[in-house]
Amino acid sequence: MNDIIRLHDEGDEEVTRTLRKVYAAPGDDAYWRGLEARILSRLTESAAVTVSWWEELDRWMRPALVAAAIVLLAVSVAMFRSHQNAQHMAYEAMLTPTPYPVETAVRPVLQGHREATFRYLMTSR
Amino acid sequence: MVGDANRTSERDYVIAAQKGSDAAFAALVRLHQRRAYAVARAIVLSHEDAEDAVQDGFLHAFRALDRFRSDQPFGAWLNRIVANAALDLVRRRKVRDADELPDTVAMPFRDPGESDELRRRLSQALTHLSDRQRSVIVLHDVEGFTHGEIGKMLGIPEGTARSDLHHARAALRRLLKDMRSET
Repeated sequence: MNDIIRLHDEGDEEVTRTLRKVYAAPGDDAYWRGLEARILSRLTESAAVTVSWWEELDRWMRPALVAAAIVLLAVSVAMFRSHQNAQHMAYEAMLTPTPYPVETAVRPVLQGHREATFRYLMTSR
Repeated sequence: MVGDANRTSERDYVIAAQKGSDAAFAALVRLHQRRAYAVARAIVLSHEDAEDAVQDGFLHAFRALDRFRSDQPFGAWLNRIVANAALDLVRRRKVRDADELPDTVAMPFRDPGESDELRRRLSQALTHLSDRQRSVIVLHDVEGFTHGEIGKMLGIPEGTARSDLHHARAALRRLLKDMRSET
């Protein structure tokens, strides 16, 4: 507070005094009790809003869980069926005779063109 | 000693409030609402806006209470929150006034007891200062906050608060002198 006095001349002191009057907080205790009550009431309202939000969420929780369980079951069944189909197709494919000799049919194609031609000539005899 | 005792009880209230005691938070409101009002009043243009900013500030503080470290001074933390709420209110008012009510900016003080000449002239002169200059001069000269405290509250460096204060005083002197010479 000392630097206020140092920096101000007498005119400024008067200005500061007037500033204090202009910005004076209400002095009445009843006012502060009222403000305190308003502040606390806002906190309560805010807490009530938060609680009701949770309650709303809670209300939707059970149907949401049931729906999620149904979706999960449906997805599991679909995946199981798809897996079964793939297995069946693989089994069928293994039993079906190929139009080519077995060695040629199952041999990997990652061989040189020359070697493939040689093998074809050997098997076609 | 009295200050230490207050600080200890304040710390107890803070810890209890953090644990969910509404009564402890009510005690903190009782302890700090006057100072919080003074901080808000320095930043906004009317008593009603200061009340709104104080309520917003306490609401934000209540929500952020679990993040507050109880070994720090609660008042300084709260004042920063209230100052932010007040600055936010000023920004919102500016947007609203620019859109709807351009004339309301010119008469910010609605104090019914505003009768004496200097008070009238001072109120008028204050409207010519920037928001920040007005806040700094009020927080320093009226409320007695240091430049450092003002800087933290308004989110500006201490040196800026110091120079704002200097410019605000110079501007007030000039404006009041001009008004005197006009009358």
